[in-house]
Amino acid sequence: MMNPIKNMEINPLQASSSLGAAMFFLGINNAVVLMHGAVGCASFDKVTLTKHFRENIPIVTTALNEYGAILGGTDFLTSGIKNIYEKMKPDFIGIASSGLTETSGEDIACIIRDFKEKQDLPFSKIIYAGTPDYKGSLEDGYMKAMLALLEDFSGKETYKTFKKSKKLTKSINVFCPVSFTPQDFLELREAVGYFDLKPVMIPDLGLSLDGHLDERGYLQTTADGLGIKDMENIHNSEFNIVIGLSLGNAVKSISELTGLATYYFPNVCGLKNSDKLFNLLSELSGKEIPEKYKRQRRQLMDAYLDTHFYFLGKDIALALGIDLLDSFSMIYSEMGANLKIGISTKFSDDIKYRFLNFCEGDLDLLDNYRNVDLIVSNSNAGFYAKDFRIPLLRAGFPLIDEIGHGYKHYILYRGAVNLAVESANLLNKG
Amino acid sequence: MHITAKEEYFDEPACEHNGVAKDKKACKTATPGSSTGGCALDGAYIVLSPIKDALNIVHAPINCLGNSYNQRTSETTQRENYYMYGFTTAINENDLIFGSEDKLRQGVIYVFNRFKPKAVFIYNTCVPALTGEDIEGVSKELAAKLKIPVVPVFSQGFSGNKNLGNKIAGDALFTHIIGRKEPEIDLLSDYNINLIGEYNIRGELFLIKKALKQAGINVLSTITGDSTIEEIMYSHKAGLNVVVCSKALIYLARKMKEKYGLPYIEGSFFGLTSTNKAIMDIVNSIGDYELTCSAKKYIKIRTRNTEENIYEYKRFLTGKKALLYTGGVKSWSLVSALNDLGMKVIATGVKKSTEEDKLRIKEIDGNGNIIMLDNGNPVNLIKIAREEQVDIILAGGRNQYTAIKSLIPFLDVNQERFNPYTSYEGMEFLAKQIYFEIKNPLFKLLKESNINL
Repeated sequence: MMNPIKNMEINPLQASSSLGAAMFFLGINNAVVLMHGAVGCASFDKVTLTKHFRENIPIVTTALNEYGAILGGTDFLTSGIKNIYEKMKPDFIGIASSGLTETSGEDIACIIRDFKEKQDLPFSKIIYAGTPDYKGSLEDGYMKAMLALLEDFSGKETYKTFKKSKKLTKSINVFCPVSFTPQDFLELREAVGYFDLKPVMIPDLGLSLDGHLDERGYLQTTADGLGIKDMENIHNSEFNIVIGLSLGNAVKSISELTGLATYYFPNVCGLKNSDKLFNLLSELSGKEIPEKYKRQRRQLMDAYLDTHFYFLGKDIALALGIDLLDSFSMIYSEMGANLKIGISTKFSDDIKYRFLNFCEGDLDLLDNYRNVDLIVSNSNAGFYAKDFRIPLLRAGFPLIDEIGHGYKHYILYRGAVNLAVESANLLNKG
Repeated sequence: MHITAKEEYFDEPACEHNGVAKDKKACKTATPGSSTGGCALDGAYIVLSPIKDALNIVHAPINCLGNSYNQRTSETTQRENYYMYGFTTAINENDLIFGSEDKLRQGVIYVFNRFKPKAVFIYNTCVPALTGEDIEGVSKELAAKLKIPVVPVFSQGFSGNKNLGNKIAGDALFTHIIGRKEPEIDLLSDYNINLIGEYNIRGELFLIKKALKQAGINVLSTITGDSTIEEIMYSHKAGLNVVVCSKALIYLARKMKEKYGLPYIEGSFFGLTSTNKAIMDIVNSIGDYELTCSAKKYIKIRTRNTEENIYEYKRFLTGKKALLYTGGVKSWSLVSALNDLGMKVIATGVKKSTEEDKLRIKEIDGNGNIIMLDNGNPVNLIKIAREEQVDIILAGGRNQYTAIKSLIPFLDVNQERFNPYTSYEGMEFLAKQIYFEIKNPLFKLLKESNINL
């Protein structure tokens, strides 16, 4: 008898919220991530992130054992923080919890607060994001870490300082989604810079994990990224830009915590949304859109025309995190591609209409779509693509079986060209 | 319920650490705030997942499997296998409150109907262990219903490290799989052995099997690279267990010796000297005159042949300095492999090595001035590499960026390696890779360019 109830994730698409928080913290300069849980919680994440970014990933563990799991993990957590400081001297320690530590119901935030008061640690910022693995997705953990960081820096004192201080820099805060590649961060930073605005990317995985050889050689902490000084000054920025469908729920909090006007973009991909972003930047900075991007816009229009033939009558299956699913389907929709199935870790009514079918689930759902012409997903879908003999466009997380994904970017005009061209070539081969 | 690991796991007569620090549970500590290796789940999964016709189901929140599956480089001869699949019950908040035993039960039935596996391994993890779910009961019930072995693996991460996980997996195989079947007559030859702890990374098992076959030895079962459930079920019928590389699986070998009277030896196939020694040790344990003669002859031919093939590399590598940081058996067997190439090993990591391993290192290292690295701290590693001016660091992927960011040539000799390094062919690969890595002009170029413009 076939059992209709699946009740099993077969080749999961989703990753845990603690990993999301860790990824956020890795975008901060001179940072270490402390994973509060058993040794495996840190080890699994570290291995995957190292393979994905091809960089040293500073994640350490509190190494909770059975006594800690049952009797409480306070000592593990506090000695973990102390050891990190002694060995690595970071500016920032980001703490993510796990299913193990959250199940036992300890008040981790309180433990950290007590520890900070007693120890008086002026040297490091310590931020905690509660990320039980049984709740929420990668995107949720990332957002949680983002808000935890903002809350910490929006303490009353900082806010007062802001009220008194003069606006010296024309900086803006750019909140970016977990789906951005390091190159996406760098492209956006450059674009904002063209409008004589100083971007404060929150977080900045472009600076920290773009794969540059630091002149200091090997470092135990993140080599670059969002600086603590910049964080302290976020209230002095002109305005906020928030990007990412998954960050939609955070817009209100971001606006309140920073006290700034906030502009929200579910994605900055494709022709229309890139137009929107550039127009906004132009309007708010009072500068004209630079010639470089006007040119890129024309190039994109041409690339859409050149490549759209390859998509005629072809079916595409996408299995991606919600941000990238939104971004890619935006571009594909503009060029009239037929999106047979969209699989994601979360359901979204906002983008449902772009797909013939849309569902929440695992990569194994691809098994029902053996006749599509292109699969767009992460490395774990490689096995299905190979089995069905369908070309795979690798994107998302994790990307471990190919090198160079950190240099790719899919945002703004040029990003859309990249996606259109890469997809067309794969469809042509397939 | 198995919240804590069995005391038996920490009482290992075959391990030299045994009893040294019993109250502290040797081989088990990790410091908070450090980046240690994997947990028990990781270790158990590594051992059991290469079995190609079994399903591995991780009963856990999404963290344990979702963040990390499909990453090992074990190879198989079979295209149709479940090795590429990752299964998890993805425990969510509701499951946590109302219990997830039923979810697990239904999930296993679903995947059984769809994949028709020969066995199912269910891994218990931290969260269900804490909430006290009866994985053992569910497994028994499912085994009776599905009529295949459904094996509970009590590998919750908080009970210990990767090594402990290896043991737990060995115990699971010993308790539920081994001895459940008799081999067909035609599978047995005159001299049958099992390889324990060989996972066929980059096809290394294939090379070892080839060499052994040509030397006249039949590998009956491999635990667990490229293996089937059936072959592990009848592994007790072999004449000798050969524990390759994984010290932690000595536990399994000892258990099999106690129950089936199956003797065991340890051996390594990294490097020419080690491979030759391993083959001779196997042959000597079997104790057959004819076999010994033919094996000796075979070794002689292969050794001469390999030496010819690596001659050019060896000429270049003689006198070059290497820093080795890897675990267990490799800490000495790779020292010997590098010595085969005429290289000088400045230091070797002994964090995971036994006293016996350390003795072997001393034996191999004639001058006795090799540094035994107890501390794998990257900063320490780089310091020694710089002080001693080593030509190459050989270590696991964890230290890849430590080395290359410091502009020191590097070769991965752990599971991320690009080539098989075992047996005679492996020796050639190793020589070639080290040769080209050290010779690479890139490091010089970057050192010169690493001054700010």
